[in-house]
Amino acid sequence: MGAWLVIALGLALGASVLTFALGDRPASGWISAGAAIGAFLATLVAVFADHVSRGRHAFGPAFFLDGLSGVFLLSVAFVYAVVAIYSIGYLRPGIGHIRLRRVYWPLLNLFGLALLATPMVANLGVLWVAVELTTVVSALLVTSEGSDQSLEAGWKYIVIGSAGLALGLLGIVLIYAAGVPVLGDHYSPTYTVLHAAGPHLNRALVHAGFAFVLVGFGTKVGLVPMHAWLPDAHSEGPSPISAMLSGALLAGALFAVLRIGAIAQLAVGASYVHVLLLTFGAMSLVLAGFFALRQTNYKRLLAYSSIEHMGIVSLGLGIGGPIAAYGAFFHVIVHAAAKTLAFFGAGDVLSRYESREADDVRGVMRAAPFTGTMVLVGAMAIAGIPPFGIFRSELLIVTGGFSHSSFAFAGLLVLFANVAFVGLYQTFHRMVLSSGEGTGPVSARVSRREQPLMAAAMLTSLTVVLVLGLWIPGPLDQLLHSAVAVIGGRT
Amino acid sequence: VHAAPHYDFVHATAALIAILTLLSALSLLAVKQVHEQVRVYAVQSAFAAGYTLLVGLNRTEVALIVLAVLTAAIKVVLIPVSIDRAVTRQVSEHEVPLVVQVPMSLLIGVALAGLAYWSGSALPIRGALLPTPALGMPLALVLVGFFFMITRQNVISQIVGLLTLENGVFVATVAIAPGLPFAIGFLLLLDLLPAVLFYGVFARLIAARAKGTSIEDMAVLRG
Repeated sequence: MGAWLVIALGLALGASVLTFALGDRPASGWISAGAAIGAFLATLVAVFADHVSRGRHAFGPAFFLDGLSGVFLLSVAFVYAVVAIYSIGYLRPGIGHIRLRRVYWPLLNLFGLALLATPMVANLGVLWVAVELTTVVSALLVTSEGSDQSLEAGWKYIVIGSAGLALGLLGIVLIYAAGVPVLGDHYSPTYTVLHAAGPHLNRALVHAGFAFVLVGFGTKVGLVPMHAWLPDAHSEGPSPISAMLSGALLAGALFAVLRIGAIAQLAVGASYVHVLLLTFGAMSLVLAGFFALRQTNYKRLLAYSSIEHMGIVSLGLGIGGPIAAYGAFFHVIVHAAAKTLAFFGAGDVLSRYESREADDVRGVMRAAPFTGTMVLVGAMAIAGIPPFGIFRSELLIVTGGFSHSSFAFAGLLVLFANVAFVGLYQTFHRMVLSSGEGTGPVSARVSRREQPLMAAAMLTSLTVVLVLGLWIPGPLDQLLHSAVAVIGGRT
Repeated sequence: VHAAPHYDFVHATAALIAILTLLSALSLLAVKQVHEQVRVYAVQSAFAAGYTLLVGLNRTEVALIVLAVLTAAIKVVLIPVSIDRAVTRQVSEHEVPLVVQVPMSLLIGVALAGLAYWSGSALPIRGALLPTPALGMPLALVLVGFFFMITRQNVISQIVGLLTLENGVFVATVAIAPGLPFAIGFLLLLDLLPAVLFYGVFARLIAARAKGTSIEDMAVLRG
């Protein structure tokens, strides 16, 4: 199994080097998409063929897989693959505006590499390095449209993200120090070692350490109030990068929080971890819901929806208990599929109307029926309408909340899922179905033909979010149960 | 029962370095010119490197000694010099617009340092050579760096604030986890990766606007 992980990383790294050498040529896109699809298939084999769900697997000192890593690994690998496919179309002449074409593909593949590495690595220090690498690479990608706004967004992102990660590192150092009394001065902070020593770690240091980890990595998850960078980066970056940030980067940072939380709770008890997750989760859900209502920029609206969804996942894990936690992990996967669909659709609309303002966009369904359908369906999928996967995961979290006597938090989730629905529905309904004229200039680009690769990426995401809403395959079900077991909820 | 304090040379030197590091962080708040800020950062980094060297020698740990040398090379020389170049080319001698004026900044800085020592004393941990609370000075660096970063409206000042914050994390690591085995690798990454990126991003920022490095006009994205 270790070999498959190395193959996945090797493909992303190889594609990065190769595309850097090739530069801005059509071959770069195909190489990247091939590598990304290959990496996704390799992770599928690594996770399912060797039954990760049956327990922990460490491969030498470098790699570590269990149910928790499996869920996040599949999500990021899927997002990387569909984003690479979509990007080929998006970079075709007359569609997306990417000024830094020379470095787009190498950076995208490096971003994929860092994201794939995040859930695979076996040690807290390397985990931090992987997450830090995602910041550096993705901040450059955010600026790749070359506009003043994208520079501002990239700057905000790198400054806030780096400050957050420095605090996250302080948290990791504190947790390392918590182990020194039992493990000695020189020990390698692998998950296996820390899990074994968990109950004997110094409690006060773990308390402080996990708080720093949650605030630090939580900055990259986009949890309120550390979310300030997120709407700008998601809105000003090119749409395929927005999809990658939303579907994979936020999840990768959340993975780091949960991985360290799984160790911390052995020392300080699950309730401490749960209370922190509930607090930040509830704040994110509520504030992002309100902010989403007043957005006039449809990509920012989707960004606030991402904050909301990360809040929902944190809430589900904070509620505790097997049903809510199962729902939360399932939510990570379906959110990755639904949000890529929504951002892909938004990117298609942006390339036609050349405006991020919802009021400039009217009658998408008339001008481009396929795009219109995808945008509307994507918005409905992230709003949690049945039969899409997000409806199912949110229902599981709410059910888990009620069965665990967390009525207030379950109620909050129901309420703000509806607030988000209103925000998404009123904006995207007007853009797609309304027959009036938009306030923006309308060019011939509006009714250009569908770009087949962009359409293929959208259909892939749609298929995943739809099928998972109706049916959870057996192996995936087992994987989700084993992820729940890792964070301590019994199934 | 408190053990009798050690007044040997090594501990006294470490205590002195800790005080000087803290003072260098606070004096950052009093400096308005961009290139002076960069110099204060270099001095502060020299103290951090000195402390690392002292701990390394005291524990006879080669990894820490190497780390101290690399820290000096990168944070005292490489980063300040390259930032200084970027500054003199664009905004030589410019004063940074302040959100909070100097006297108030200093008061807040002292209050933050007090907060850091107070919260540091809540953690039951002994730092290598440092007077207790071991995390007081590193946390003060983190808080002051953070405060500096959010109240200075200039790209380079923000980097200096971020790097000060990072120095705090670095000193904390040396103090409470000196045996961290991969310390060298990942601390260097902590420094180098963002640094490399900053130059890329802000060089383009400067080129695109040709107005200097103020972020006052970076206020398009709100809400």
